[in-house]
Amino acid sequence: MKKRRFLAAILLLPCLLSSGTSLANGTPMVSTEHATVTLMSEQSMAAPDQTLWLGLRFELIPEWHIYWRNPGASGSAPVIRWTLPAGWEIGELHWPVPKRIRVGPLTNYGYEDSVILLVPVKVPPGPQPAGPQTITADAEWLVCRVECIPESGRLALELNQAGSNTITATGPRELFNASRAQWPEATSLTGHYRLEGDKLSISVDMPGILTRAPADVWFAAREWGPVDASGAQRWEQTGTGLSLGVPAGDLPPAGAMPLEGLLVVESAQEGTTVRSGYQLRLAAQPLTPGNRNLSLITALVFAFLGGLILNIMPCVLPVLSIKILGFVREAGANRRRLAFHGLSYAAGVLASFTVLAAILLLLRAGGESLGWGFQLQSPVLVTLLAYLMLLVGLNLSGIFSVGDTLMDTGQSLTGFRGLVGTFATGVLASVVASPCTAPFMGAALGFAITRPGPEALAVFLTLGAGFALPVLLLSLYPAWLRFIPGPGRWMTRFRQILAFPLYATTAWLLWVLSQQTDAVAYGGALAGLVAVAFAAWLYGQLRTRGWRLGLLGAGLAAALALAIGPMLASDSSGDRRNTSRDDRPWSEALVQELTAAGRPVFVNFTAAWCITCMLNEQVALSTENTRQLFEARSVAYLVADWTRRDPAITRQLERYGRSGVPLYLLYSPAAGHPVVLPQLLTEGIVAEAIQNP
Amino acid sequence: MFKRFFRIPFIILTLYACGSSASLRVGEPAPDFEGVDTGGNVQRLADYRGKTVVLEWTNHDCPFVRKHYNAGNMQAQQREAAAQDVVWLSVISSAPGKQGHVSPAQADELTRNRNAEPHAVILDTEGRIGRAYHAKTTPHMFIIDPAGKLVYMGGIDSIATANPDDIPGATQYVRTALQEMAAGKPVSTPVTRPYGCSVKYR
Repeated sequence: MKKRRFLAAILLLPCLLSSGTSLANGTPMVSTEHATVTLMSEQSMAAPDQTLWLGLRFELIPEWHIYWRNPGASGSAPVIRWTLPAGWEIGELHWPVPKRIRVGPLTNYGYEDSVILLVPVKVPPGPQPAGPQTITADAEWLVCRVECIPESGRLALELNQAGSNTITATGPRELFNASRAQWPEATSLTGHYRLEGDKLSISVDMPGILTRAPADVWFAAREWGPVDASGAQRWEQTGTGLSLGVPAGDLPPAGAMPLEGLLVVESAQEGTTVRSGYQLRLAAQPLTPGNRNLSLITALVFAFLGGLILNIMPCVLPVLSIKILGFVREAGANRRRLAFHGLSYAAGVLASFTVLAAILLLLRAGGESLGWGFQLQSPVLVTLLAYLMLLVGLNLSGIFSVGDTLMDTGQSLTGFRGLVGTFATGVLASVVASPCTAPFMGAALGFAITRPGPEALAVFLTLGAGFALPVLLLSLYPAWLRFIPGPGRWMTRFRQILAFPLYATTAWLLWVLSQQTDAVAYGGALAGLVAVAFAAWLYGQLRTRGWRLGLLGAGLAAALALAIGPMLASDSSGDRRNTSRDDRPWSEALVQELTAAGRPVFVNFTAAWCITCMLNEQVALSTENTRQLFEARSVAYLVADWTRRDPAITRQLERYGRSGVPLYLLYSPAAGHPVVLPQLLTEGIVAEAIQNP
Repeated sequence: MFKRFFRIPFIILTLYACGSSASLRVGEPAPDFEGVDTGGNVQRLADYRGKTVVLEWTNHDCPFVRKHYNAGNMQAQQREAAAQDVVWLSVISSAPGKQGHVSPAQADELTRNRNAEPHAVILDTEGRIGRAYHAKTTPHMFIIDPAGKLVYMGGIDSIATANPDDIPGATQYVRTALQEMAAGKPVSTPVTRPYGCSVKYR
């Protein structure tokens, strides 16, 4: 069958080609012991300023092969030296996707049976000399089975032959198109690699490309050196694409060098192997300080400090202060009971953080692109938090009191119900703390998310421990509270004052919500707030327990219905607001386009609910000085808005070892990978980075 | 969902596990070996501590090997090495029945006929030395310094063809490296692409 096809080709080709006669300095076809090589042109006439396509067709006898541009462990790619009419310019050879050819323990990349290498030729503008134009190719190729034979031939072709337009060119055109169909896709796929010892860890984003599970996947470097072609490769389908473990070659990629190559996805279709190739230019995974190479110990220290700092966040402090005031009242009465309450509170905090960690890890294991702050990317959750903040604030203002649970300063510290109440306070404190991501926690949680389960859990629990510690210590050593005056009327006033940070938090959450939803849903959430307040007030007025709970439930249900109905509707519409500034939204492609055009690019990864981000924008990015500097240096300012979920942004954050915003990247056209700016910015830091890239 | 969750640490482990079949790195100790030469003598790398050692993988029927032997390039470099007291060991890893496999007598005859001057020719029939060095092609060249460290691995020169006309224009990496070592300088190009036929392992 193969042989017959081969024969047919030999017989047919001279008829199909524009130049079937032999020329003084060569013929368009050379036959050797192992190969028949034919030079052909897609077009028979060469017009000025036109790009012609030439093809070099290799037809090999069975079992023998020639090589891809990178031959792999051994072998040698064909070399072609062209002789062209004056002014004509030859382009780069286009190589179809090769197959892996194994010889003992070694692996090569090459072609069996037949292959056509195409090359574009640019004909110069202006009138061409009359008469035939000769193209000569001196080709050398190595053809191997196990043993190798170097072969060579001089091939020549004449274009613009008199009467050649009468010769049909459909034969070659079909061959040319068949070869084009085997080219790797020049994709805009993004991916990165990291050198880990003798392995290259490669990950490629392939959204929506792998419609069926591949039978095999492999990566071949464009040049010899970075990858050991013979070593076993491992691959794994991920939520967003593929990840591969590839053995590094004799010359592993160094520094920020991008890794160029071909990703080949093989799938079995009707008994044959179909190979799809994707050209890749993998970025080196930057090693930014304090992120990926953060050790577990450092991550735990950061988590602990972050937890401590959470205590003084405006949304948390009021809740804790009330608890501490309760301790003051009890101080001296029963130290043991007080200690139990402290432990109960700590248990509540740790339980909440465990649940939070479990939710995050399970969602991620399910392939979701989430990061820290994900709890604020859902408008529904933001609304619920706003309601909660309002309720706690109303409670502190004295609109209603929750009997002997939660926040009460009074005779709450007795009995089992008291302990449950303290546990609930721990849970409440954790929930209200969740919007307040301290700058410290970004790095630690980024670490946590990329690690296996037990380590991630350890980081979350340490965060919880840091968070719970101050209150726990005060419960164990109530004597430390001596400087606080004794109970009295001031406590009521203090409570009422503490309500205001919570109202402020409510206002802030509503503002975040305004960035996430449309006016209808936002209006619903505001109406819901009124319903919550009304329910709370009624609750405070009524004395019968059944009525109270029923009313509260009804009020909350009304509030939820008001807000969440339109929100879900608007959620699906995918309408998303950007920040009000006239910035351009970020995309990886835009960054590449701008840097390719020679412009520096500053990318601000931000979210409306990220206080650190807002602060940085106020003091460093939106200032007149910075704006002028950006303009003077023609720095493109791109905003990646993570206020709502965006898997592309999440992946980009992960690439830099972050699980949340802020992240500031400065790309300069010269450098391969961007500079990562600190999480807390000043005008000086930004200016320094831009002036001394 | 759970399955994938537990697969992640597993993948990490397997990646580390196969990382242990480490490839050769320049600057690190070269793998020691023990082989029998055409005279029946045992050749050990450790025996040449204190001297520079060159390993040349060869297969007399490989067109790339013929390129360098027919043009006299390989023999000239063997002679230069001998003059500098460098130990040049040619290694044949072709398995019995495969191209390039020779008996000790045939190997000696090849040396005579080609006017070659290696210190010894090792018959690595089982491919043990070849695999230890990840020798992939013929020729594939390695240089080991007097302290036993690998200082060069790669091709004999810079033009990866089987055409002897390309030799004069090519950079002779092994010659350059030996000259640099003799001058007490570090090897400027320690890793290059080995080119040629595949080693015909069993």
